[in-house]
Amino acid sequence: MKAKKIRRAIIIVILLIVLCIILIPLVWSVILSFDRKALSSLPPFSLVPHEPSLFNYEVAFKTIPLVRYYLNTILVTALHTIIAVLFAMMCGYAFAKGNFWGKKFWFIFMLAVMMIPFESRMVPLYLQYKKWGLLDTYAPLLLGGFAYVYGIFFSKQNIEAIPDSLRESAYIDGASEWRIFFRIILPLSKPLIATLSILQILSNWNSYLWPLVVIRSAEKQLISVGVSVFNAQQDAIYYGPRMAVAVVSAIPLSIMFLFLQKYIVQSIAVSGIKQ
Amino acid sequence: MKGMGNHALINKGVNMKNKQLFALKLKRQLVWYSFIIVSILTLGILTYLPMLTTIKYSFHDTQVLGFGEEKFIGLLNYQKIVNNSSFLKSIANTFILAILGLASIPIGFVLASLINNIGKSKWQSLFRVGFYFPNIITGVSVVLIFQIVLKANGGLLNNALSLLTGQKVTIGWLSDSRFSHLGATILSVWGSMGYSMLINLASLQSIPSEIYEAAEVDGASGFKQWLYITIPQMTSCFVFLFITSFINGLARFSDLFIIGGNTSAGRPGGTLQTILMYIYQFSFETPQYGIASAGAMILFILTFTITMINLKLTGFFKKK
Repeated sequence: MKAKKIRRAIIIVILLIVLCIILIPLVWSVILSFDRKALSSLPPFSLVPHEPSLFNYEVAFKTIPLVRYYLNTILVTALHTIIAVLFAMMCGYAFAKGNFWGKKFWFIFMLAVMMIPFESRMVPLYLQYKKWGLLDTYAPLLLGGFAYVYGIFFSKQNIEAIPDSLRESAYIDGASEWRIFFRIILPLSKPLIATLSILQILSNWNSYLWPLVVIRSAEKQLISVGVSVFNAQQDAIYYGPRMAVAVVSAIPLSIMFLFLQKYIVQSIAVSGIKQ
Repeated sequence: MKGMGNHALINKGVNMKNKQLFALKLKRQLVWYSFIIVSILTLGILTYLPMLTTIKYSFHDTQVLGFGEEKFIGLLNYQKIVNNSSFLKSIANTFILAILGLASIPIGFVLASLINNIGKSKWQSLFRVGFYFPNIITGVSVVLIFQIVLKANGGLLNNALSLLTGQKVTIGWLSDSRFSHLGATILSVWGSMGYSMLINLASLQSIPSEIYEAAEVDGASGFKQWLYITIPQMTSCFVFLFITSFINGLARFSDLFIIGGNTSAGRPGGTLQTILMYIYQFSFETPQYGIASAGAMILFILTFTITMINLKLTGFFKKK
């Protein structure tokens, strides 16, 4: 019994040390971002800033429209998440409980899309939006959300587990399928909604290639691309401000993670898929 | 006469009923279709149509799109691309990076095993959340941070190595083409091992404890239990992680693009140009859509093949 306890303590200590090593880059970048000394040369590692100041953040916010990028990204993320989750659940409901012609065909029609990587159809898609005159708008970033294939598949599996008896009694009361969907299925699917929303928020906040391709004007850009453009312009120096930018763009998801860690960790483990 | 009239009346009634029934049935169909029609149209227009266009472009001479006729040239684009040394190099880079990136799986497994070992407790949730945290950091921030951590002069990693070896180490992990594959892998493994740990841990905890209890009764040692119970039970988890990690690796773009200073050249020295960066280069930097589409088709075929192998291995076809 005692040997087991000691072994457990040793494992905990090892894990703590490894965790510290893994998190050091994050800690250091936060410290650098508050260090006035970190500008054209890299100060040595320390646990407190050599010269604490908010200077780097001032520079960062002055050089690039961070607030603008923030608002753009929040807007796109929120809209895309709402659209994607709602329409995925509508399809999931139809495939789980519906009975209609061609159900199997349409289900395979949707599932097959998982095998077509976005990247292999990106160029024609870009040209399509160009032809429609929708480049440099948020339409290309949002319209894809109307078919969130993984979400459809995941919703179908989850909604299938809701007992039919609930639907039947609502049916007898004369409720339509849409009413049942909004009044019974949605309220019973809160964990499903949470999981899909979390996956959507994570992937939207990180989306890079597609906004890089379709958004041209700097003031419409999303945070990841905006920040990387700034980073490329600064080339090798300007360490402090770059770290300030890195911290600022990582903050929203980090805060969300701290508050919702239990759900997020669970969602990721359950879904088994990140993007 | 009277009988016939009755008959006709009944017939008429049945017809009416049939029609009503049909209308009702049709209405039900339409209701269900109203749930899925938007997604169907979206997939048709935004997925299937462009995919078919990619296939079409890959067989056409579409150097200057929209000007003059698009000429059918058969496999010439494919011929051009597979004889192009920089495309072959980008395939090699992609595979090297994807394979190196698999390191996150054993690392995640070891972490998960240790974390699982300490039993359900506050410590366990702390480690679960702590080790997962890097995965939540925005991709672009990770690159910015690691450009400094992996810097040749004064970078954290080199400083640590200097301290350990007693000599001054100045490896340009992201600027020296001899080390760039390793450097880019350190960055990606740092970001993805938390995910691998999480999936491994969930899988470890779903192994029924009765199996271990039975083995204990039979006197199997800890190591034997690990070798004969844990590893076989984890196979499907490993396969899943292998496939997802590999497919993600094939489509790697953002971090390497940012490392290259927002160009698709794959700096340093083209060693970090992946297939997708090559496609990007011939789509948006020096547009030759025929070439880009042939590249996209090759990427599609690679991804498709791996997905099919995955479905075969996981028995997806058997269930249906």
